[in-house]
Amino acid sequence: MAQMIIRLTPELVLMVTAFVVIGVDLYTRRRIARRLLPGISIVGLILAAVAAMAQWTVREPVAGTLAADAFAFYFKVVAAGLVIVVILAGTAYMQQRTRFLGEFYALLLAATVAVYIAVSANDLITLYLALETLSILSYVLTGFLRGDRRANEAAVKYFLYGAAASAVMLYGFSLLYGLTGTTQLEEIAQRLLAGEVTSELNWLAWPVVVLSLVGLGFKASLVPFHQWAPDAYEGAPTPVTMFLSTVSKATGFAVMARLLVIALPTLSQYWLALLYALSILTMTLANVIALRQENVKRMLAYSSVAHAGFILLGLVAITGLGSAQPFTGLDGVLMYVLGYTITNVGAFAVVAAVEDARGSTTLDDFAGLIHHSPFLAAAMLIFLLSLAGIPPLAGFVAKLFVFAPVIRSQYYVLAVVALVNAVIAAGYYLRVVKQMFFVPGDAATSTWRLARGMEVALWACLIGVFAVFFFMNGFTTWTVDAASAMLGL
Amino acid sequence: MLNTYAVVGLFAVVAFTFPFITLLMARMLRPRKPNPLKNSTYECGMETIGDTWVQFRAQYYLFALIFVLFDIELIFLFPWAVAYNRLGLFALVEMALFIGMLALALVYAWRKGILEWQ
Repeated sequence: MAQMIIRLTPELVLMVTAFVVIGVDLYTRRRIARRLLPGISIVGLILAAVAAMAQWTVREPVAGTLAADAFAFYFKVVAAGLVIVVILAGTAYMQQRTRFLGEFYALLLAATVAVYIAVSANDLITLYLALETLSILSYVLTGFLRGDRRANEAAVKYFLYGAAASAVMLYGFSLLYGLTGTTQLEEIAQRLLAGEVTSELNWLAWPVVVLSLVGLGFKASLVPFHQWAPDAYEGAPTPVTMFLSTVSKATGFAVMARLLVIALPTLSQYWLALLYALSILTMTLANVIALRQENVKRMLAYSSVAHAGFILLGLVAITGLGSAQPFTGLDGVLMYVLGYTITNVGAFAVVAAVEDARGSTTLDDFAGLIHHSPFLAAAMLIFLLSLAGIPPLAGFVAKLFVFAPVIRSQYYVLAVVALVNAVIAAGYYLRVVKQMFFVPGDAATSTWRLARGMEVALWACLIGVFAVFFFMNGFTTWTVDAASAMLGL
Repeated sequence: MLNTYAVVGLFAVVAFTFPFITLLMARMLRPRKPNPLKNSTYECGMETIGDTWVQFRAQYYLFALIFVLFDIELIFLFPWAVAYNRLGLFALVEMALFIGMLALALVYAWRKGILEWQ
C-alpha cells in the first residue's frame, strides 16, 4: 500500500496541485490569483518530475495495471518540463484572451496526469481510459477561447475525429481481448507466444494491429489520421497548440511503443510493415503540403505531422531485443521525442509572441522580425535550424539516432525517402528565415517588449536545444536506460 | 469457440423478436374503444400551446451537467452502501475521497455563480 503510494507520487502531486489551483482560483482575488497560479502549477510540475526522477532505477508493476519503469519516468520528466514551458510562455497570451485562467492551469495539469497514467499504463483498459481522459481534456483546451469561432471549429473537428478514432481503437482492443482473454499487456504477449491462439483465428492479427493503430496514430497524428491536426493546431490557442504538438504527440508514441513492444512482439511482422508504410506516407504528404502554407502556425502544424513520420523511423528499425546499447531504434524514438519537442515548443512560443504583437501569424507578419525583436528572430532561426536537423542542435541529434538504426537494419529505401524529406522540410523552414531577416516589414520599426515568462521559456528552450547536442552522451545514457526497460533488459 | 458465439447469436435473435411478438399479441388481445379523452396526451405533461419547435435556454444544460454529477455519485454509492460491512475502512476512505472530489465540483459551480438563474 505504502509502496504503491510512493510509486504514484508523481501523479498524486499533480492531482493535488490541480485541486489547489482550482481552490486558490475560487477563493482569492483575481489580481492575486493571476500572480499565484502559474507559480503553484510550476512548483507542482517540478515536484512531480523530481518524484519521477528519484525512482529512475525502479522497475515493477504498480497495482497490476501500471508499470513503474525508466521508460515511463523518462516521458514523465520530459512532459513535466514541456508543460512548464507551456505555462511560462502561455500565461501572458492567455491573460489577454480569457478570464478563466485558473481553469486553464487546472485543465493543463489534469491533462498532464492523464499523460502520466497513459505512459505507464500496462493494461488495455487503463491505457484506453488514460488516453480518453487526455483526449477529452485536449478537446476542451482546444476550444478554450469560447468567443473565437476558429477555436470552436477546431475543437469540434478534433472531437469528432477523436471520438471516431478511439471507438475504432477500442474495437481493436476488444478483438485482442477476445483472442487472448486478458487485458494485461505482458499476459497478452505470453498467450500469443504460447500458441494458445488457435490457427483458425490467425486472420484476426491484421485487424487487431490495424484497428489499434488507428487510435494511436490519431494521437500521434500520423497520415492518414492527421486531418484534424492542422485545423486543431491552427485554431487552438497557441499555448494549447504547444501542448498538443509536443506532450500529446509524445504520449501517442510512448503508448504505441509500449503496446507494440510489450504486448504484440509476436505480431511484429504485421506492425513493422504497416509502420514502414505509414512513416513514408506521413513524412512525404505532410512535407509537401507544408511547402504551400502561407500561415506559419499552420505550416508548423504540418511540419509537426511530418516529424511524427521521422519518429516512426525508430520504431520501424527497432532491433537489438537483447542489447543495452544506443541505436536500437527504440532509444532513437526517445531521443527524437526529446529533441523534437524541445525545439517545437520553442518555435510555437515564438509564434505566440508574434501573434500577440501582430494579431495573426501569416508569413507577412514575420517580415522584418529582426527589426522588431532581434532576440525573437534569432531564437526562431535556431529553432527552425534545429527542426531542419542541422548541427550543433537538438534536431540533428534526434535525426542521427533514428537514421543510424534505419541504415543498420538496411532499410535503404526508407533512409533515402527520409533524407529527401529532410531537405524538403529545410526548404519551408528557410522561407520563414528569409521573411524574418531579409524581407523589410512595415516602415515603422517599433521594438516589441516580451513578457517575462515568455523570455524565460525561450531561454529554457534555447539552452535545451544546445544542451541535447553538447551533452549527447548524458542524454544517451538516459534514453538507452529507458529503452532497455522496455526491451526487458 | 463457435458454439459460444452461437448462444450469443440465438440470444440476439430472441432479444430482437421478443418485443415485436409481445406488441403484436397486445394488439390482437386488447379491446379497442377510442374516445377523445383517451387519445389525449397523458403522463408526459400537457398539450402544447403553439409550436413545439422553440428554442430552449442554453442555461438548462449547466443544470443537466450538475445533475449528472449527482447521478453518477448515486450509482457508485448504492453498491458501496450495500456491501458496506464487508468493504471496511479502505472503501470508506475511497468513498470519502470520491464524494470530496464531486463536492469540490459543486463548490466550483457555486462559486462561479452557475447555480444562479440569469
